Amino acid sequence: MTCQDFWNSMPEPGQVASDLLLSAHLSECPNCAARMQQQRRLQTGLRALSATERRVGAPARVETRLLVAFRQHEGLPARRVAGRWAPAFVWAAAIAAMLLLGVVLVRNRQPQPVRVEVRHSLELASADSPGRFEGFIPLPNSAGLATENEEDVNLVRVSLPRSAMLALGLEVSEDRAAELVEADIMLGSDGLARAVRFLDSDSLLD
Amino acid sequence: MKSRPLEMPPETEDELLLRIRSGDEAAFLALYRRRQAALFRFALHMCGSVPVAEDVTQDVFLALLREECGYDPERGTLSGYLFGIARKLVLRHLERGRADVTLDLDADESPAAELRVIDDPLLELTHREGIEALRRAVAALPRRYREVVVLCDLEEVDYADAAVALGCPIGTVRSRLHRARGLLLDKLNQERNPRQSLDALKPVRCLL
Repeated sequence: MTCQDFWNSMPEPGQVASDLLLSAHLSECPNCAARMQQQRRLQTGLRALSATERRVGAPARVETRLLVAFRQHEGLPARRVAGRWAPAFVWAAAIAAMLLLGVVLVRNRQPQPVRVEVRHSLELASADSPGRFEGFIPLPNSAGLATENEEDVNLVRVSLPRSAMLALGLEVSEDRAAELVEADIMLGSDGLARAVRFLDSDSLLD
Repeated sequence: MKSRPLEMPPETEDELLLRIRSGDEAAFLALYRRRQAALFRFALHMCGSVPVAEDVTQDVFLALLREECGYDPERGTLSGYLFGIARKLVLRHLERGRADVTLDLDADESPAAELRVIDDPLLELTHREGIEALRRAVAALPRRYREVVVLCDLEEVDYADAAVALGCPIGTVRSRLHRARGLLLDKLNQERNPRQSLDALKPVRCLL
């Protein structure tokens, strides 16, 4: 068998030469054996190239356009074509909604800091209006009432738990200790509290 | 849309085409999804342009909708027919843009190049760089060899369908494929060992 005969009758490179004559020629002819080996490796490479491209396809917009064209061709009413990405958008929207709900729930479960509620804005008082300081109780360790040293003060109206009155020596019943009571805090020019005045008429009756 | 029982085999493409003819959108979609990727890749390999490959893929299926599409099951499979349309569209594009890549080889008449065992570049063909080199080599093939390699080797279209798509006898498909593989090997050897390849191109016989 000549080399030409061999290649004329040789099956595809990926296949095995089952014919005895072909096999014999391959074992006798190093050139044809080397060429056959190259052909087989090329075939392997082409398969690998093909495999890397298996997922390549036309973009989804082609399908969308074709479906529109098909419906026009068939005289069918146009409809909104969902397209290949519609499920992805639905899932993305659902996940986003779940995340938002989770954030809201977590925030609601976080303990809120206890804050003293300021009902009114700062009110500037001066020593020339002594009537405004009636009922104030000087706070322990403070610089005393502003009226005594003619200091400009700020009055801040706040809500305090009734239990705060205990610190000033006032009596508070146990069952009402948690209630809020309005009070004016006198703040000195240094920002420190000087005195407090409870506005609730019951405050002094406890 | 009627659902098919699970135990039934998938519909043949001819069956899908019959349903498409009766206005079945689901059948059109099924056929498109079955065939679009291979047609798109074929067009992409032939043109090297994604927008053109998109247009070709779309136009193939639009052509299928036309009454005079000319598909005849007696002459070959629907797959071969679709590749044939894609090829015509690609050729039309290449003629317009003159974007064909040719190696200026009249290869059908020339003898098969002697394969030189240089330093074997094919050992790396399954690695990433080897695959890229092979992709470049395929892209550099003359159009008539590129199309047969893409169809038969990359898209694994059988020779009969390739013959329908290319509009030539099966024997021509075989010979072109054989020649195309030889050119690919040459190209790969040349890329790996340009000096030795040039030496190998020196004439060994003076005809004058």
